[in-house]
Amino acid sequence: MIWTLRLSALSLQISRRAVLTAILLLSVLLMTALLALTLGSYPLSLADMREILTGGGTAIQQMILLDNRMPRILTALGAGAAFGLSGALFQTMMRNPLASPDVIGFNAGASCGALVAMMLTGGMVLPGAIAGALITAGVVTLLAWSRGLPPYRLILTGVGASLVLTALGDLLISRMDAQTAADMAQWLIGTLNARSWSDVALVWGSLLLLAPALIWLQFPLTRLGMADDIATGLGMALSPLRLALTGTGILLAALAVSTAGPLPFVAFAAGPIARRLIPNGRPVLLAAAASGALITLLADTASRAVPMIQLPAGVFTALIGAPVLIWLLLAQFRKGAL
Amino acid sequence: MTASTLTLPRQSRSGDLRLLWLGTALLALCLLSIAALSLGARATGWADIWGALTSYDPNNADHIVVRNMRLPRLIGAGLAGAALGMSGALIQAMTRNPLADPGLLGINGGAALGVVLCILVLGVTDPAEFIWVALGGGLAASVLVFLLGGGSQANPLRLILAGAAVSALFLALTRALLLVSRQTLDVYRFWVLGGFDGILPATLQSLLPFLILGALLAIIAGFGLNALMLGEDTAKGLGVRTGFTRLIAGAAIVLLCGATVAMAGPIAFAGLIVPHIARWAAGPAIGWSLAFSAVFGALLLIAADLLGRLALFGGNMQAGVMTALIGGPVLIWLVRRNGVRKL
Repeated sequence: MIWTLRLSALSLQISRRAVLTAILLLSVLLMTALLALTLGSYPLSLADMREILTGGGTAIQQMILLDNRMPRILTALGAGAAFGLSGALFQTMMRNPLASPDVIGFNAGASCGALVAMMLTGGMVLPGAIAGALITAGVVTLLAWSRGLPPYRLILTGVGASLVLTALGDLLISRMDAQTAADMAQWLIGTLNARSWSDVALVWGSLLLLAPALIWLQFPLTRLGMADDIATGLGMALSPLRLALTGTGILLAALAVSTAGPLPFVAFAAGPIARRLIPNGRPVLLAAAASGALITLLADTASRAVPMIQLPAGVFTALIGAPVLIWLLLAQFRKGAL
Repeated sequence: MTASTLTLPRQSRSGDLRLLWLGTALLALCLLSIAALSLGARATGWADIWGALTSYDPNNADHIVVRNMRLPRLIGAGLAGAALGMSGALIQAMTRNPLADPGLLGINGGAALGVVLCILVLGVTDPAEFIWVALGGGLAASVLVFLLGGGSQANPLRLILAGAAVSALFLALTRALLLVSRQTLDVYRFWVLGGFDGILPATLQSLLPFLILGALLAIIAGFGLNALMLGEDTAKGLGVRTGFTRLIAGAAIVLLCGATVAMAGPIAFAGLIVPHIARWAAGPAIGWSLAFSAVFGALLLIAADLLGRLALFGGNMQAGVMTALIGGPVLIWLVRRNGVRKL
């Protein structure tokens, strides 16, 4: 079923399934977020929350909700959305589910940058990670560039860079003293522990700034997902478009890593999940952002729910992401879609 | 089916040129092996190397160094390189994806999880005892990947995606376990580098049967894969049992790679890069590409081990790190220079 929206000269075709799925996904996201706000070692009911938000409640309740849980959950949503968007941009553009930022070396770059910064300065993990991700992305893109950005070159160059950086990271960890190594192992898998409102402002502010670019890129992106000659035949200049998409994807990946650490598998899994939910792939970016946010939020909630040992969220993004991907694969194989 | 598709792989290089290449590579392998035996903290002359190999004297320090330390290292690196090269060639031919790497089938991930569990639960800290758990973990993970990937009907995309998913799952479990125990992290962070320090002749002996069986299966699979590279339907039309071929190739990959991980830890990259260099020299015919991959793989790892123990980080750089540091730029250079030979 296709709906057509007309606004004088403009018309927009949307499939009903896509809209319904998007609404469903967003409401699941909202409910999970509400649930996550109530959960924790200090339980809060929905009624408590309404009271706190309108200025009531005890000081402890206010601190837990306003200074503790809300920033953390909002950061998780924003970082997850950024991961999902970044993955979807690369995967759709390159027509290859392997072309997600974690596969083509950005996460490895961030991790390596963080480790180098730790070795050199004994701190500065975050700036190091951002610098690492950006430098890696820049170098990979430059090296892969040849009158355009051919997918195979980008993926292979990224895989090469990823292997080098991972090995360097392993090497650096083996050269650190045991205490630092243990601390870094925690950071390297990604966690949302102790986030503040400044993190929320950073991630959501940046997402808002990038939103116009994303909305504008959404249209050509769905066509780039088809064959090159179709896209060229539609009058699209492939190289500038790929460069714009890559730039946006890089910024999103760096943003995500800088607020949540290199959470594994979110960027990789969000795209395929979105694609599975909305088969004709129209508002794929929105669905990918929502899937990424949902995975991250679930992972973070799980990490808060495990008592005693505080496992970081990254452990759970992979534990959630991998089975979901396996389920997706099986479902698609059964339908003969792959 | 047009004629041009059917005559695809063979004639891109003449047999003579390939033999010349292979001969040169074998010669280089011999020279490199001699260098690996003679160079080190204690420089050893020809006479001592020859003596250590033919008439071993347990009281001669030079003999001890050559026979007990450098020789096992050399053989280990050579075998590991050959095994990784061959399994890389097989998996790239089987999945028709030049990005495919044995590590992607979950073997490294499974082995790592096995090792971490072994340290954590059994309290083992001696790398020599990791062999069987690493082999077991690798086998279990790859069987899981093959089942998810469609078993004997595995299609390339499905196999790679299943491999990536299982790898990520195992990696996450590994990391979770590492965070639980500081002691485990301390042992694991050295194992994961991959290398041939302190490899024992007994280890080599116990793994040799796996490697030999794997190599034999690889050769058998090679016959069917050659036809399979022309496409599923063509291969069936030519009378190849495609499912059986994939099963044999899969078993060969698992044996070769699992034994290597058990011996030296997860060595990234050799399985990915070596087949590319091999195809560049040998053309796409799988038999040649297997032979070249074995020789080039051995060359790469012996060189990496030698460089790592002689030159870098004060002679303290593991071969696994070296292969990644050499291999990454080589891959990027290949991609930039030639594009990648599509399969």
